[in-house]
Amino acid sequence: AVISSILFSGSAEEIVIPRKKTWYGIAVLQALASTVNRDPTASHYVFQDDSYLTPRTSAEFKLYSLAQESGRTAAKYFINTYPKYFQKDFANPHIPCLMPETLELQVNEVSEAALIERIQLRKVKAAVDMYDQLLQAGTPVSLDLTNDLLDLISLYGDCDPARGDAPDKSLKPNRENNNAERIFNMMPERNRRSYGALIRGMVKHGAYSKAFNTYTDLLNNRLTGDVHIFNALISAAPEVREKYVEKWDLIVDLLKQMAEQKVKPTLLTFNAVLKALRRCGSLGRTQAFPVINEMKALGIAPSLATYDHVLGIFYKAATSAQGHTEILQDVLSEISGKSFTAQDPDDVEFFKDAMRICLATKDIEQAYRVHSLLGVGENWKLLGDSYYQSIYYGRFFNLLCMMEHIDVVLKWYKELIPSLYYPNSQGMRDLLQALDTDNRLDLIPQIWKDIKRMGHDNKTELVEEMLSLMARENQIPEVQQSFADCALDVKALYTQTDRRVPLSWSAGSLSSITSILLAAERTQQAWEMLKLFKLANRVPSESLMNQFLESVKASNNAQQAVELVQISASFCLSITPNLMERVQQEFDLTEEQRNTLSDLESSTAMSD
Amino acid sequence: HSVCYNRNSIYHFIDRAEKPHTVCRQLNSTLWLNVGGRSIHSSAVCCKNRAARIRVGKGDRPVTYEQALHPHQIAHRKGWLSQHTSNLQGEDGAADRTVEDLFIRRLIYGTFHGCLADELVIKRRGNLLVICALMLQKLPPHKYYFLVGYTEELLSHFYKCPVKMEIQMLEEKSVYKYL
Repeated sequence: AVISSILFSGSAEEIVIPRKKTWYGIAVLQALASTVNRDPTASHYVFQDDSYLTPRTSAEFKLYSLAQESGRTAAKYFINTYPKYFQKDFANPHIPCLMPETLELQVNEVSEAALIERIQLRKVKAAVDMYDQLLQAGTPVSLDLTNDLLDLISLYGDCDPARGDAPDKSLKPNRENNNAERIFNMMPERNRRSYGALIRGMVKHGAYSKAFNTYTDLLNNRLTGDVHIFNALISAAPEVREKYVEKWDLIVDLLKQMAEQKVKPTLLTFNAVLKALRRCGSLGRTQAFPVINEMKALGIAPSLATYDHVLGIFYKAATSAQGHTEILQDVLSEISGKSFTAQDPDDVEFFKDAMRICLATKDIEQAYRVHSLLGVGENWKLLGDSYYQSIYYGRFFNLLCMMEHIDVVLKWYKELIPSLYYPNSQGMRDLLQALDTDNRLDLIPQIWKDIKRMGHDNKTELVEEMLSLMARENQIPEVQQSFADCALDVKALYTQTDRRVPLSWSAGSLSSITSILLAAERTQQAWEMLKLFKLANRVPSESLMNQFLESVKASNNAQQAVELVQISASFCLSITPNLMERVQQEFDLTEEQRNTLSDLESSTAMSD
Repeated sequence: HSVCYNRNSIYHFIDRAEKPHTVCRQLNSTLWLNVGGRSIHSSAVCCKNRAARIRVGKGDRPVTYEQALHPHQIAHRKGWLSQHTSNLQGEDGAADRTVEDLFIRRLIYGTFHGCLADELVIKRRGNLLVICALMLQKLPPHKYYFLVGYTEELLSHFYKCPVKMEIQMLEEKSVYKYL
């Protein structure tokens, strides 16, 4: 109700300045309170606070933040390439991060120090070469240093880490461990760390059965594994067995060996077990809770990844919620009010997966609980990067549009958009649906402004749906006028050619705009629309023609009525004879007009 | 342009707003008596009744508010372009701050060439250096962000303190009057 009053007062074009304004007693407190929480009108903190520099779409968001980052990278390049200008140290105490870094190799002779340097600078190929040179020169390399080298190779998969922000996601499983295995085989003595590096590298890069073979080698050499090795093997277990039962048996076997070798499990162990159980079908559902109880018995506090895996076990994508609806509620009850820190890389999956489940089960209450969990302590850090955030908020907003009353939807709309989330065109269509459901179509012109600002005005489906919603029924006069203005604005998009490719007319969009203009009694502009039909090769519908006839009758313009029949004939509409009859009966026609009509009648009769 | 840091005669930098182009004109008339040795460098004199004053002319030269008001109006109708605490009683480092300011003004004048609408305002709050700039909408926004990220990073590493830029965009230079 508040929103509609604001909209209507805007169209009144009159600002009344009161002589005196009285404030509530607590107005100051209210104003201060509004500054405490997040400001939904501000853009993200990395951007400058200026309207020209504020991103309006998600593409702009990404572009501007990446542009700023690349500026920083350019500066870092100059700082590191010409370090002598940045050596003067004013800062007291010393600030190490503002000094230039040495990224180039300093030590160039064949020595252990050179190898250490290359490992620290993460130069994988150079490190391997240096190691080979050392061996050729006959210098023995210490076990710890060789283990460091193996760790480096296994982590980066035998190629140098890509210099830039996007990590090289394409893991090449074939050549990945050639160097690691080669160096491993050349080592005079190997300890658990060496085996560990190899096994973890193999699991990371997809060589699962090789990992298990290496583990067998480890045991054959009378060594024991450590917690990292077991975690890696557990996560690899579902890959090396086919049936659910076999997978679970392998995991249980590994856990038993872990106990025998007196290796204490950690949070990551249990998370690996649960993650593997997600791939064990119905067995997962029976075993999940015993695992969690075991975890709690050992005093290990679950992280968000644990709960994410539990939800993944019980809410499979294919099956709809059948009697498992309590799991989400139980999980949320258990974690409500708790603040989590990042302990497992899968922690960031929790929020978006929980919201997916709420959306699938259409449970708005749980969605609110998930959202309130986001406000507890440090949990906002676990929402993930901007891509994950957009998924989470997209699902949340989708659910809100489906389930909540339009006033609540609009309140959330102001809260979330665009400071946290840039909806895609599907999101805007959901919002239009929500407006339609609650009969608030009068807000469409306001939403259209937002659609334009967000850059969705080139999405034909969205625009056509909006137009058809506006054209469907007649509204009260003020709303109808605002619809007409909005429709003319949309029309401009189809006809302008200056900046970008204009949208192409369809029969639906043309008809919608025309009928909106007719209902707002903008007959002149409506007639111009009829001409556009011919240009765009589209045929007006019969209901549109009838609507035209009604409006012409209201203005009692016989000439226009005759023109209407002529236009209808030119499109060869089947309604033409009907129109002709009505015009002849309901209008006072001059002789000339009657003649025109009878000519038309005969020409259409002949063409039949 | 490293000449300006070696100058001993920096008195006329302190009590007027620095203008890069006028400083450059003076540099052209610098006399080098002994390069590499310690000697007196002197520049052309700029009397205080001519510094930072744009004289009334034909009436076709647009000036901004900052340019139109003369230095005696500072603290009356004008604020300061450079805000730091080293000019207070008992504080030191005024000369260093001034030289830093000069460097920053030239760096930004060149980095955002043609985009500055008015003089920079440089504020120091604790360790933080805030550069407030009014810019014209000449470049697309992502280019501004690139240059802002570049400048902030470069200056932070150069001065070993956090440097932030706050930009406001104008469509065109705001003209106060025509002189």
